[in-house]
Amino acid sequence: MAQRNSNDYAVVWPRSAKAVEIKPLAKRLDTVDGKTIAFLWDDLFRGDEIWPILKQELSRRYAGLNFIDHDAFGSTHGDEEHRVLSELPDKIKSMKIDAVVSGMGC
Amino acid sequence: MPTSSLCCEGFLGQAKTTSVGLGYPNLALATVPGHVDVQTSDELRANVLGTTVEHVIRNLTGEVAAVQAAADPEPDEIVFEGSFEEVNRLFLENGWSDGLPIVPPTKEKIAEFLAFTDLPSDHAIGKLLPDNRFATVWNVAVNGVMAGCRPEYMPILVALVEAMADPQYGVEHSGNTPGAETLIVLNGPLIKQLRFNYEQGALRDGFQPNTSIGRFWRLYLRNVAGFLLHLNDKGTFGNTWRVVLAENEDSLAKMKWPTVAADMGAPPGESAVTISRFTGGNVIVSVFGDSAEKVLPYLGNALVTHSGWELIFTVGMATGTYRPLLVLSPLIAETIAKTMTKQEVQNWLYENARMPAHLFEKYLWGWTNLVPGKRTLNDWVRLGKIPKAFAGNDPNRLVPVVTRPEHIMIAVSGDPLRSNCYLFVHNGMLGFPTTRTVKLPQEWRSKLRDAQM
Repeated sequence: MAQRNSNDYAVVWPRSAKAVEIKPLAKRLDTVDGKTIAFLWDDLFRGDEIWPILKQELSRRYAGLNFIDHDAFGSTHGDEEHRVLSELPDKIKSMKIDAVVSGMGC
Repeated sequence: MPTSSLCCEGFLGQAKTTSVGLGYPNLALATVPGHVDVQTSDELRANVLGTTVEHVIRNLTGEVAAVQAAADPEPDEIVFEGSFEEVNRLFLENGWSDGLPIVPPTKEKIAEFLAFTDLPSDHAIGKLLPDNRFATVWNVAVNGVMAGCRPEYMPILVALVEAMADPQYGVEHSGNTPGAETLIVLNGPLIKQLRFNYEQGALRDGFQPNTSIGRFWRLYLRNVAGFLLHLNDKGTFGNTWRVVLAENEDSLAKMKWPTVAADMGAPPGESAVTISRFTGGNVIVSVFGDSAEKVLPYLGNALVTHSGWELIFTVGMATGTYRPLLVLSPLIAETIAKTMTKQEVQNWLYENARMPAHLFEKYLWGWTNLVPGKRTLNDWVRLGKIPKAFAGNDPNRLVPVVTRPEHIMIAVSGDPLRSNCYLFVHNGMLGFPTTRTVKLPQEWRSKLRDAQM
């Protein structure tokens, strides 16, 4: 084993380079009014109760909102998650979605 | 695309560290106060209206926080020189160690490991979430040194990381709250060449290859994938790593039963690793009987009773991803093999290890908030997710615990002269069984001979 100056060890870092660069977040919306908002769900932790509350409250505060439910995408967790996630970019583009709300991390 | 990601309060820390790995350290998070599982409908509604909605609106319309990338050392950069104790203190303080002393990863020691692979040291095996770091041959060697492995284990370590990086396996879920732990099953000539224990005490620490390779697995999850407790590893309790389970291939050959690796499609004559994450399991003690028909009911009963709520917690069973693993002692396996092939055992268990449909449906949605729509087994059959064996109108009809007979994995290991077995189970959603063959370097035999002198 490498020993320098009596019992010293010269060691390297056990981690490795990041495989991803820091990317800028997308520009935020000027207003929520009139926007199309999609919900993504992992089928977990009471999202089915939370989405209606969010929709109701956002609709109360903003005019002309359009919502696209999680059913349009499939579950983002489980046996089909890789397919669901790979299909997301095209679906988001084709559905003219302005913003996405995703859950549930729990 | 502006986004807002909903997180329960207890997961905000993990969400923030995971966001860094995704390249978005300032990802917009919306808090759901507390944990939704223990809130009444009114409490949940009040929390969403009082906090979450405001966060969602802020996430979609507010200012984006500025971020800066942190500088990391180069892979071969000497980050420290010091005594054994000083090195270990540094590694502990930086979260690079598991709490036990590590072997200092010096360049000289790493070179010994690199001599046991034909791959270049900078070869990228894959990318590992959630930290999203490159898995390289170099850092496989570094963590192998630290774990106390011998250099000749390197081909197995590389194969393990190849399996870990396979999207099919889903390493990103390794920090789930049930704290499921990976089991590594080894098959092939390397079992004997590297002197793995595959007999009495097969799942206990005490043999260098079984133990140190198991430790390597978790060190690699820590240092490269980024699973650290209180950050990305959210295991509520968790447990220590599992040692490598090597099959008793002498017994398998005698019975003419295929190995786990062969069942997973590995080529004959080659060594292979199979990884799978299990929530838990149990020993099946003192199986009694001189024939397959007397022994199998014990195993079938264990399979049903352990495919219960506490370990399966619903979500995976009915969608064809539940893959329990039965480990038979050679004594029990050879008793069964007097009259049955391994495939016939799997078929018998599929037909006989069954539970009432009403209980299965209780696991699926009666006791959970996890599966939307409260789909019955008949619904799942109509959706084409599970076979017709699950359909019917009688709630007391007996249904299988897996969707295909071959999904019951069977290994042979442990004390050859004891009648005990072991069963590993999981919830079918995480750590799907994944196999990789072990690629040996040129001049393997001479290198191994020199290393073992």
